[in-house]
Amino acid sequence: MKRFPYMKKVSMVLFVLLILPAVSVQADDFARLRKDSARISTITADFVQKKSMKILSKPLVSEGKFYYAAPDSIRWEYSRPLKSVVISGKGSTKRYIASGGKMVEDKTGGAQAMQIVLGDVAGWMNGRFDANPAFTAAIREGTDMLITLKPKGKSMTGMIEKIEITVFRKDASVKSVRIVESATAETRIDFLNVVINKSIDPSVFQVVQ
Amino acid sequence: MKSLSFLISAFLLSSCAALPAIQEPSADQTKKPITCPSPFLTEKTRFIHAIDVQTAGKTKTVMIGVTVADPARRTFSCAIMSTEGMVVFEAVSGNEGVNVIRALPPFDAPDFARNMMDDMELIFLEPAGVLAGKGVFAGGEVVCRRRKDQDGWIDVVAGHDGRTQIRRYSECGALERTVNLNGNSPDAYKTIELQSAGLMGYSLMMTLIESEVVKDIPATQK
Repeated sequence: MKRFPYMKKVSMVLFVLLILPAVSVQADDFARLRKDSARISTITADFVQKKSMKILSKPLVSEGKFYYAAPDSIRWEYSRPLKSVVISGKGSTKRYIASGGKMVEDKTGGAQAMQIVLGDVAGWMNGRFDANPAFTAAIREGTDMLITLKPKGKSMTGMIEKIEITVFRKDASVKSVRIVESATAETRIDFLNVVINKSIDPSVFQVVQ
Repeated sequence: MKSLSFLISAFLLSSCAALPAIQEPSADQTKKPITCPSPFLTEKTRFIHAIDVQTAGKTKTVMIGVTVADPARRTFSCAIMSTEGMVVFEAVSGNEGVNVIRALPPFDAPDFARNMMDDMELIFLEPAGVLAGKGVFAGGEVVCRRRKDQDGWIDVVAGHDGRTQIRRYSECGALERTVNLNGNSPDAYKTIELQSAGLMGYSLMMTLIESEVVKDIPATQK
């Protein structure tokens, strides 16, 4: 080992030289995404959610509609197999579920759990993919951009292994979200018929019928 | 402390009750032999239900429940998730007991998993135990009563409205659970109503989203 005492230092320098551009490129990419996403003021989209688990023989498919208005208003509405609506914005989140032919407010604390999730979702729509300190964010360029979020600590062990967000290169809007819970469980959400910057009636973020 | 124990004992004793009497069928009813209602599963089946959780008659939340029930092995796998796909509870139950894979609050409460598996067993599987009675209730509904091993009683009742009712009683005869099924096989599990008795009573209104028979792949083909 002592024959090449300088080798270790050279290796270290090379490693730093190799790593540094990658880190700065990543930071540049996220900055560019934030800049591109700043042009988005509203998003309206259909979505298809596919839940895969060992207990299911085929993915459980849910469908619905997604609305977003900058900076943080979201309406996340499922139409099948069950009707439910989550409305989030200005620090408040309410969840409604269909029961007996009408929509009733969920009082079990499900809305609080969704508030955390939708806070992150609103951030993604703003291009703030690396904003949550609980995750490390990495970006990979391709036909579209793939952002991978991995939990930093052990608090999410057994809950979330990673989140993959695919972003359209052309307009920086989110194309799909894949939440990997374990080797055998994941949730994939594909956004379809995405309409950007078309005016949304404010009542969409207030009223549930 | 002594008075508290006395109060608890008095409350528990007052919870006990006589089981509803089973009578011999009347002369009109004895024209055909009594057949025990049996809507229960005969094949391993996967169900996906919408579960409307109610307390005091008001909906608290609606979840999606996935159940795989195997009547031959008397085993279950089940998962509860939100409409958004967040799995809040997942467990399997077999000869070795209940193995909880995931339980987020409040589904991590002590005994939740065991109680849930007991409810699944009551709903989907033919009651174990010896036949302790067979006949009709005072209202004329056909009933078969089974005695669980020193662990209570289960009545399976064929209602006049075509629905099947399952009642579970404690060892001392207190009604613990009532399950109403849509009818007899194969549509029994289209709608399921489960009511839990007691101070912390709740109701589950389960509506079928989809179901399928599960064919196990032989180990050699895996």
